[in-house]
Amino acid sequence: MSERRTRSGLLRIGLVMGALLVVAAFAGPMLAPYDPTAPVAARLAEPSPPGPPFWLGTDDLGRDVLSRLLWGARVSLLVGLVAMAVTMVIGTVIGLAAGYCGGAVDAVLMRGTDVMLAFPGLLLAVALVAVLRPSVWTIFVVIGLVSWTGVARVVRGETLSLRERDFVLAARAMGANHARIVVSHVLPNVAPTLVVIAALSTSGTILLDAGLSFLGIGVPPPTPTWGRMIQEASAYYRVAPWLMAFPGLAVLYAVLAFNLIAYGLAERGRPGR
Amino acid sequence: MKGRLDRRAVTPLLGLVVLASCFGDPPLAWPPRAPGSQRGGVLFLAAPDDVPTLDPALGYDSRSWMYEQHLFETLVTYDDESRLVPQLAAGWSISDDGRSYRFTLQAGVTFSDGTRLTAADAVGSLERVLDPKTRSQGAEYYRGIRGAADYAAGRSEHVTGLAAPDATTLTVALDEADPLFLHKMALLFAAVVPADYARRLGDDFTDHPIGSGPFVLREWRRGERLVLARNPRYRRNDRPFLDGIVEQSGVDSELAWLQFLSGEIDVAGIPSADFPSIRRAAAAERPGRLISGVALVTNYLGFNCAMPPFDDRRVRQALNYAVDKDDVIALLSGRGVVATSFVPPGMPGYTSATRGYPYDPERARALLREAGLGAGFATELWTQSSDLDLKIGQKVQHDLAAVGVTMTMKQLAWSSFLEAIRQPRRVPLFDLAWSADFPDPSNFLDVLFQSGRSDANNHTFYANPTFDRLLARARPLTDPAARNRAYAKAERLLVDDAPVLLLYHPITYVMLQRRVHGYALHPLLPARFTDVWLDPEPARDQGTGAGS
Repeated sequence: MSERRTRSGLLRIGLVMGALLVVAAFAGPMLAPYDPTAPVAARLAEPSPPGPPFWLGTDDLGRDVLSRLLWGARVSLLVGLVAMAVTMVIGTVIGLAAGYCGGAVDAVLMRGTDVMLAFPGLLLAVALVAVLRPSVWTIFVVIGLVSWTGVARVVRGETLSLRERDFVLAARAMGANHARIVVSHVLPNVAPTLVVIAALSTSGTILLDAGLSFLGIGVPPPTPTWGRMIQEASAYYRVAPWLMAFPGLAVLYAVLAFNLIAYGLAERGRPGR
Repeated sequence: MKGRLDRRAVTPLLGLVVLASCFGDPPLAWPPRAPGSQRGGVLFLAAPDDVPTLDPALGYDSRSWMYEQHLFETLVTYDDESRLVPQLAAGWSISDDGRSYRFTLQAGVTFSDGTRLTAADAVGSLERVLDPKTRSQGAEYYRGIRGAADYAAGRSEHVTGLAAPDATTLTVALDEADPLFLHKMALLFAAVVPADYARRLGDDFTDHPIGSGPFVLREWRRGERLVLARNPRYRRNDRPFLDGIVEQSGVDSELAWLQFLSGEIDVAGIPSADFPSIRRAAAAERPGRLISGVALVTNYLGFNCAMPPFDDRRVRQALNYAVDKDDVIALLSGRGVVATSFVPPGMPGYTSATRGYPYDPERARALLREAGLGAGFATELWTQSSDLDLKIGQKVQHDLAAVGVTMTMKQLAWSSFLEAIRQPRRVPLFDLAWSADFPDPSNFLDVLFQSGRSDANNHTFYANPTFDRLLARARPLTDPAARNRAYAKAERLLVDDAPVLLLYHPITYVMLQRRVHGYALHPLLPARFTDVWLDPEPARDQGTGAGS
């Protein structure tokens, strides 16, 4: 019982953290005190430490770190959610098809998934970005393309067991066609699992996006992103550690928020235990 | 040394010892230093990459040249003010028509293996560079020697224009008068090597180089360290002061700085994060001695003049006005001067008459309106993937946005970047720097902006017949003053036509340990160690290498 309460507490904390993040992302441009791309500090090439009027300091290009963080929240959340949606759609479709159809379809789709899984995700993402042109849209697609495999496997597993359940067999006996069975009977029962994976995959994509930005192939400048902020700060880690710390903490915060939501939801989805 | 530590001392040190034996190098023995003597001691250096080659026929980068110039000598070289002075030559004479050169070599010079250096070696060295089998990028510099083409095509055994009538005389006959020929003889491609030996070794010459320079190669473990030792047979008894030079490779600039602070290396560049506070600090407070030098380099953004909208001069001028160059210098922490001309200050032919493009966004907007681009346009800046390029790119991006130009950035690795900017109509805007090979304005203006040179280095695809005519008029002039005037005239036209967005000429800053003396940055050449000496008292255990 007490563990359960802790878990639902975690869900609540996660939801509050996530809500704050959403607020920051939507209202960020209004909350941000400065233009995130404009040099506003008195001196260039010398980051100024946190303190008024720049509460989180300024970077070497004289830009306000707080403003960049708030604008960066927008990009991170947008990438996190959209790339998650792409991931979920691809993963769910392939998982449902493989699980429901079984046989040769299952074999082909799952071996394909295994092949995708065999590629290191980050390397594949780097290769894809190199081929496509870096832009926000590229990042959505690339992250979606490299992270759907986990979703597909879980969905297939769930579908395999649902396929043999009585209510599915009953629907089939009553003459429902396959599309109807999948959409009205299988999918709603996979949904609770999907929600949990979605939350987890959001934090995963936020992290992957930060990683790509850190490697210099994420959303291109002038759009401020947390990963790029960390990368640009790395030359200054000795003289201006705050430059790296704040965007690092922001990534930590966002990932933690979605992970807490995922854990909380996972516990809720198991009423018997 | 390690073996003599007693057991108790070994245990806590074990980690360090293991680390040292993984990354460190076996000790090198150096001669003991006489107390109070200016002579002796070892200079410790570190660099991120290995030296590409030590074969003077092959090296064409500053890292290779840095070490080649200590192993080999050329007939002529530059003094600290970039004036041509004799090195292996005792003197030379040039015929009135400018087509024949006669060099007299210093007598009694030997290579480091003890064999005598003769004019025949000088002939053989140049022939080796011209031989297609050597695959020397320097061959193009010597194609003007009579018979070079026949030799390169295999139609003759020797280059007819090169001769060694006696052991200390070299004569060179050229097809046409070439005002730059002495500069070409100062390039390390023209270094005198023991010709037969070098030919016999072929590609292995780089590992077993023999020259007449002040140092010899003692050890070169690729990717680990390069060690030079004093050449005991060097033609000057009073040089070099140093017993040796040890360069560790695989040390990035950040690590090199930490090694400098801990006293492990003697020379280091300063990370941009640390530079502002070091520059502000009083000389005594700094971790070492700060020296600086203006390099003969111009950093610029090149416009593709064959691609709209940059085929319109007004657009190119507008962008020049739109960028605040003072801010760019501030971003460099003051490590540069604003460029107002393409030929850098300190180069012959530099003119202060061009005013360049002061920051004037109003004027930029007006010019863009005139060109019918008042609503702005989008373009893409191609850069190499370095932090500095990205930083300056973001600054330019911000300034251009203020006049309505949306600029995105595309970062590439160096080789793909070079490949891309050579393609016509592919790259609209690119970030590049050009540094002088020899002190002559043609090295900037002819090489980069002459029309029809797009196969080589005219990446802006700039083509202006008037400009070409001015170059053609300046090129054959031998009188320095007239030559510089003629080039300055071409330069004024060039700056007005603006095929590039002029940014800055970098200033190099280097930190030295206080024990190091005589180390100077040269505008044209990599740093030279022949005159470097160390404070007499030994600052460290001379018996071991840097890493142990």
